[in-house]
Amino acid sequence: MKVHIKHWHAIAQWRWDIGKNDDDDDGEGDVCGICRVPFEGCCPSCKMPGDDCPLIWGECTHVFHMHCLLQWIGTAASKQQCPMDRRPWVTAERKVDAGNPR
Amino acid sequence: MDARLRRVNKEIADCKNDKASKITIDLIDDNPFHLIGAFDGPEGTPYEGGRFQVDIVIPENYPFQPVKMKFITKVYHPNVSSASGAICLDILKDAWSPVLTLKSTLISLQSLLCSPEPRDPQDAEVAKHYMTSRSSFEDTARYWTMVYAGGPGDKSGAGKAGKSGERDEIAMAGLDKAHVAQFEALGFERAKVIDVLRRLNYRGANVANINDDRIVEELLK
Repeated sequence: MKVHIKHWHAIAQWRWDIGKNDDDDDGEGDVCGICRVPFEGCCPSCKMPGDDCPLIWGECTHVFHMHCLLQWIGTAASKQQCPMDRRPWVTAERKVDAGNPR
Repeated sequence: MDARLRRVNKEIADCKNDKASKITIDLIDDNPFHLIGAFDGPEGTPYEGGRFQVDIVIPENYPFQPVKMKFITKVYHPNVSSASGAICLDILKDAWSPVLTLKSTLISLQSLLCSPEPRDPQDAEVAKHYMTSRSSFEDTARYWTMVYAGGPGDKSGAGKAGKSGERDEIAMAGLDKAHVAQFEALGFERAKVIDVLRRLNYRGANVANINDDRIVEELLK
């Protein structure tokens, strides 16, 4: 039997690589600790998820929506600390691993 | 829908799904930013067996500003105002972080009941009582838990609103019946005696430090 493919639709799904496997899901899912919206969604001030609403990583390994974190760091109350561990916030240099996309 | 509303709705829903913690968050009316939280008094403390209600107000800039909480249920504790329910806890002030939630903050209040911090008091009189005589403080806290939070009270049933159906004002103030009777016998009104002895922290080892003349002087004021 020969099958002729007439049409096909490619479907792709993307996720941020937050350096975490699905197995160690803590039940809370991967949500931004500040706005509680999934990382794959966008922060409350954006309409479209994706490159325009990226994530930001600290050297302490904690991850947030960039806009959420910047809003917090912009307040005096933050004392420029990571909301998770109160260490001084230092944005981590993070290179996209082009050779090995997930 | 605004970010604050979305987060609060999520937090209320998450709390409803978690039955294990016995922490509840309920709406008062249709305002989603004014809520009532409740939790059980921690085991092994004078607050055990009580249920404590907390008034919750979510500020405009939440979660970038701390949530406002105060006790609705009266609590006898060094870091809670016995009059207003105002709470002294760092995370409600300068140690707030936006990753804290209504539930985690209520859990922090629950653990504040386990570990009073009398050196940073919200209610100075209660803090003095705590530092002067721990066992007398615990009796009073247990009595308040029974009267206001539905706790079981003293095992012996002492001080229970019994025959008269009235609260025992001496137990409420954490004082000794014999001490109050001693000054009542001099012709002073009971309420006045209780007020003065409470203010002077006439308890435990401190009794020996305050002479009777000082008390009479206060009573005559």
